[in-house]
Amino acid sequence: MRSLGAPSIMTIVLLLVVAFAAPPVMSFYSVPPYWFHVAIVAYFYAILASSWSLLAGYAGQFSFGHMALMAVGAYTTGLLGRYMSFGVVEGIVSGTLLAGLFGVVIGYLCLRLRRTYLALFTIAFSEILRLTLMAEHEFTEGPDGLPLTPLFATTSKVPAYYAMLGLLVVSLVFMYWLVNSRFGLFFRAIREDEEAAAAMGVHVVRYRVMVFTISSMIAGLAGAVEAHYVEIITPNIFLVLQMSIVIAMAVIGGLESLIAAAFGAIIIHFALELLRPVGNWRMVVFGLLLMLTLRFFQNGLLHPLLQRMFRQRVLAETVAKRQVPSEG
Amino acid sequence: MIFDVCVESFPYVAGLIINGLVIGVIYALMGLGLTLIFSVLGVVSFAHGEHYMIGGFVAYFLLKWIDGFPPLLAVVFAGVATFVIGAVFDRLFLRPMHSGRVERPAEYAILVTFGFSFFLQYLTLAVIGPFPMKAQRFLDWRIKPLFGTVAMYSTRVVAALIAIVLISIVLWFMYRTWTGRGLRAVSQDKDAAAVTGINSLNMSTLAFGLGTMLAGMSGATLVQVFSWVFDVGVPASAKSFVVIVLGGMGSIPGAMLGGLMIGTLESLGAGCFPDPNRGMAYKDAFGLLVFALVLLFRPQGFFGRKL
Repeated sequence: MRSLGAPSIMTIVLLLVVAFAAPPVMSFYSVPPYWFHVAIVAYFYAILASSWSLLAGYAGQFSFGHMALMAVGAYTTGLLGRYMSFGVVEGIVSGTLLAGLFGVVIGYLCLRLRRTYLALFTIAFSEILRLTLMAEHEFTEGPDGLPLTPLFATTSKVPAYYAMLGLLVVSLVFMYWLVNSRFGLFFRAIREDEEAAAAMGVHVVRYRVMVFTISSMIAGLAGAVEAHYVEIITPNIFLVLQMSIVIAMAVIGGLESLIAAAFGAIIIHFALELLRPVGNWRMVVFGLLLMLTLRFFQNGLLHPLLQRMFRQRVLAETVAKRQVPSEG
Repeated sequence: MIFDVCVESFPYVAGLIINGLVIGVIYALMGLGLTLIFSVLGVVSFAHGEHYMIGGFVAYFLLKWIDGFPPLLAVVFAGVATFVIGAVFDRLFLRPMHSGRVERPAEYAILVTFGFSFFLQYLTLAVIGPFPMKAQRFLDWRIKPLFGTVAMYSTRVVAALIAIVLISIVLWFMYRTWTGRGLRAVSQDKDAAAVTGINSLNMSTLAFGLGTMLAGMSGATLVQVFSWVFDVGVPASAKSFVVIVLGGMGSIPGAMLGGLMIGTLESLGAGCFPDPNRGMAYKDAFGLLVFALVLLFRPQGFFGRKL
């Protein structure tokens, strides 16, 4: 479907070169480390937004618990490191796996039902998980924050920058491969027409659970790495409002494209940082922008631009699938 | 151990149940609003808790700014304000969905109501600020502890009494007036309702406005009970979801039964938990447990239509 022509590969290579060459250039011009931090967090949000768009844009499943699964990864590695003296790598791996396990359980509970149920359940789940982490403060330090071992034993932000960028690239490549694989075909078919897909022999629930689990694991992985990077986590990292920011990033970028969602996240994160002096009003405008994008530009603001850049033609398939009314 | 008290002491348990029913009435009112929206529009409003929050703030500021403002009138004003917000939102963002001007309406509805909740929370944060506020009591009235052991809160009882009156009005409206019958007709069969001359688009706006109004009025009755802040609606939303899923999405009796059950269950769960501090902290987790069990064994809830 999204076959990339020569110019688009050039664009991607160019972007990668820019991203990878940024640290030496930034150091040369002595950009304050604060902007490294902003970039790292932007990549973190890009991973979350693109993995959420894998779930929402490709599989048509809306989870409001993506940040909660991210927190499962973060708290798993934090708690294991603290009480079982797990190393950073073991901790991150266990966090990823546990987030996947949560994904399987929640998936089996909700994905047999109408899609609203996943949204309803995950919002409740995320709220309860937050309350639990607050309540067990003797164990989790609650709102005071759980300290973690640093990701790298250096004060420089450069290794963390490359780690997060690498994670973003790897997860994008993996998801890109996934949606273009046989499995991707299955869950996109399910999104377009569940009954038809089932009639063609696609095991609907199994593939939905699979996508949900994969996107949960990516969220957990990103959360675990980010937690070791910032070295402290509190239950407030996954307030429902944080979840809204990820969703807004993915929607404004373009839900139906992993790369657009990732770009949306990076651009919006930088924009929000630059607009910090405006205070909360920037979020009000951002919320309004989210609603207007949904209402008038359902493909997102960035996705059409990227498409033009990548010289992709909108395939007849995309047009055809819009004619089919989706399930209620 | 507190747990033993629950096994041995009937008055203690009875007190917990009564307290649970008192708060359950408010949950029922919240759930009633959400279920009304779902039954007519086929949409779950993820901004339900934010209307609750706004209703509370409207009542709070009316009572604060105008000396001797009657609390009941404040509740009514909160209802009017949230009705207008809900109806305008429906006209601007949800109506295009019904006329096929929006792709993938089901997905759009989830996201746009969620976006609305995000917008309303930050708007409140930007305008009012992050500090919790608490309104004065509606009535200065003390209640003796029930059976000598369980504290009763007069603020909650007052809130529950107002909620009972409101629920009765809603039921009268839904079952005894032509407009209410029209709403129920649209919820049962949109096309058949259209044949008999009911404008389903107007009914949708009305249903959304009424639903948000009920949330706003629940908030207005509870602003004297809890401290109020911009994100107070998030747990309230989560609770209304549990209530309507338990009762059956779109069912009016289901929302009421669900509200009362969740209220009672929370109260019993928190009161009988071995460690009382944890019990209070986990009060909201009992709802989730019910949610999971309902999804597992009876996804359509008590009175829901088959899914």
